Amino acid sequence: MKILIIEDEPSLQELMFKTLVKEKYIVETASNYKEACFKITDYQYDCILLDIMLPDGNGLKLLEELKKQHRKESIIIISAKDSIEDKVYGLEQGADDYLPKPFHLAELNARIKSVMRRRWSKDGDTSIRFGNIRIETDSFRVFIADKEISLLKKEYEILFYFLNHPNHLIDKAVLAEAVWGDHIDQSDNFYFVYAQVKNLRQQLKKAGASVEIRSVYGFGYKMVSCEN
Amino acid sequence: MKLIYHVLIRLSLALLIVLTAWTVFFYYTMIEEINDEVDDALEDYSETIIIRSLAGRELPSTGDGTNNSFQINEISPEEAKMYPPIKYYDADIYIKEKEETEPARILRTVFTNNDGRYFLLEVSTPSFEKEDLREAITNWIIFLYIVLLITLLLVCIWIFYRSLTPLYSLLNWLDNYQPGKQHTLIENKTNIREFRKLNDAARQAVERSEQLFNQQKQFIGNASHELQTPLAVCNNRIEWLLDNTELTEEQMKELFKTKHTLNYIVRLNRSLLFLSKIDNGQFSEIQSININDIIIHLLEDYKEIFGHYELAVSLEIKGLLFINMNEALAEALVSNLLKNAFVHNIEKGFVQVIVNEHELIITNSGLSSSLDSEHIFKRFYHGNRKKESTGLGLAIVDAICRQYHLQIFYQYMEEKHCFGIQK
Repeated sequence: MKILIIEDEPSLQELMFKTLVKEKYIVETASNYKEACFKITDYQYDCILLDIMLPDGNGLKLLEELKKQHRKESIIIISAKDSIEDKVYGLEQGADDYLPKPFHLAELNARIKSVMRRRWSKDGDTSIRFGNIRIETDSFRVFIADKEISLLKKEYEILFYFLNHPNHLIDKAVLAEAVWGDHIDQSDNFYFVYAQVKNLRQQLKKAGASVEIRSVYGFGYKMVSCEN
Repeated sequence: MKLIYHVLIRLSLALLIVLTAWTVFFYYTMIEEINDEVDDALEDYSETIIIRSLAGRELPSTGDGTNNSFQINEISPEEAKMYPPIKYYDADIYIKEKEETEPARILRTVFTNNDGRYFLLEVSTPSFEKEDLREAITNWIIFLYIVLLITLLLVCIWIFYRSLTPLYSLLNWLDNYQPGKQHTLIENKTNIREFRKLNDAARQAVERSEQLFNQQKQFIGNASHELQTPLAVCNNRIEWLLDNTELTEEQMKELFKTKHTLNYIVRLNRSLLFLSKIDNGQFSEIQSININDIIIHLLEDYKEIFGHYELAVSLEIKGLLFINMNEALAEALVSNLLKNAFVHNIEKGFVQVIVNEHELIITNSGLSSSLDSEHIFKRFYHGNRKKESTGLGLAIVDAICRQYHLQIFYQYMEEKHCFGIQK
């Protein structure tokens, strides 16, 4: 799968490149409007990560151009301009997702996956799988080995987050922020995360899931498959 | 103290001193003048008596209704030398017709007749009662003082306000001025040069402070905006390191600590950016927001997040609170107030939320001392420094309340901290 990163900030570009290469994508980069134009005209991609604030032009113009050509690429807008107008305009113009800077690389990863899922699932299958777990994202149902289990809202959200970031180390604080929102930002104790993860583990074990949520030195978690 | 009172008090005091001095002077001058006149009359009278006596003619009778009286006594030449040739003095004399003593002016002189015999002549005329005069003068002066004072003060007040109108309208304008808020141009026409200068100075000062305020606002906004990407890059590099390399627990611990400090900076930065967006009025969409819904939703989360404090949380709904405001700001307002109550709490303490149609009151246990209500809503005020606290939560609350003209108050009573907002 081929991804084009259009991003002018070299450090961020490098990081995105590194992360996505590690995810086994084929990654190309463009650092300015001209370069991006050139690459878009000459090549085809599956997904384009588009920073709309470029030194020599507005990324939204590229978006308009792509849509004029009826190109099939999925587009995720990346921008520090997290004003609502840009977001609305970008999505109206046909962008598939909008990711405001600053973002976690894990988040970027999840967004790409989600966009890709939608792209490939012409038959409407938007489920995420890992091991023998399957989440049907549009109906919020969870299946383990094709048997439905019922989870509480927070448990579901934690599992959803893990399934989007399998085999990655997940910081407790980042998980908490993803599930509980910004309100957790002054908590000095993550006992509530621990409690929920403990419940989730029990549920998974009881249902015979082939995955495991491992604790990493008490800092975070990692969801791994037990099959290997 | 108002300037007018200051002026009036000074004026009254000055008037009191001047008038007192003037009264004393007036009294003595008047006595002098009266004595002078009386002395002249006494001299005439004594001359008449001396002439008549020397001429051997009949002396004037004493009972002629003028109350004048005289006395001639012969004295020896030696005695005569002891007396000054002429002397005026005051004394009380007995008046037979009236059968009472009265103050009198007396002239005493010595004269010789043709035979070389010496006579002592004492002529007296009843004069005024000095006591009465003093009293009368004092009374009248007090009366005069009061009348003069009232007149003067009234005139003074009138002139004061008439001529200082430009000053007061300038002060009024300055009072209404708030940095960063829309302000009308100063309308203060006056012919007085000093006031014109003052107007100009005030206008320039306001323009300068306005400029500085905007620059500062812009700087904070730009700085936090520019910091976002490098911060995210740092954070992501650490995440990458944690995720993709084999690290020892010790190394991971250090990285996590760095990451948490970085997260703190990110939060701080985000809050500053949020504040500057509120101040720039970037949250313009307004709708009627049900505050109760937000409270119920957030309270559940906070109960869970701060579960380790084992707080007794109670919610008392006395009515539905609707406020016309931006949805994001409403959420920020309630969440920061609630978060404040939870974060700055004590173990096994309590949080009590009361909401009715007009207000939201959040009471919590905490430090057993009042916070400085002057500064509590300022940026980076830390009552008791909590490690994770940015010191911006209440500043955000304050900024949002200012935006929508909501009243915000803080009270400390019996070890309870109480925050409230009022519609």
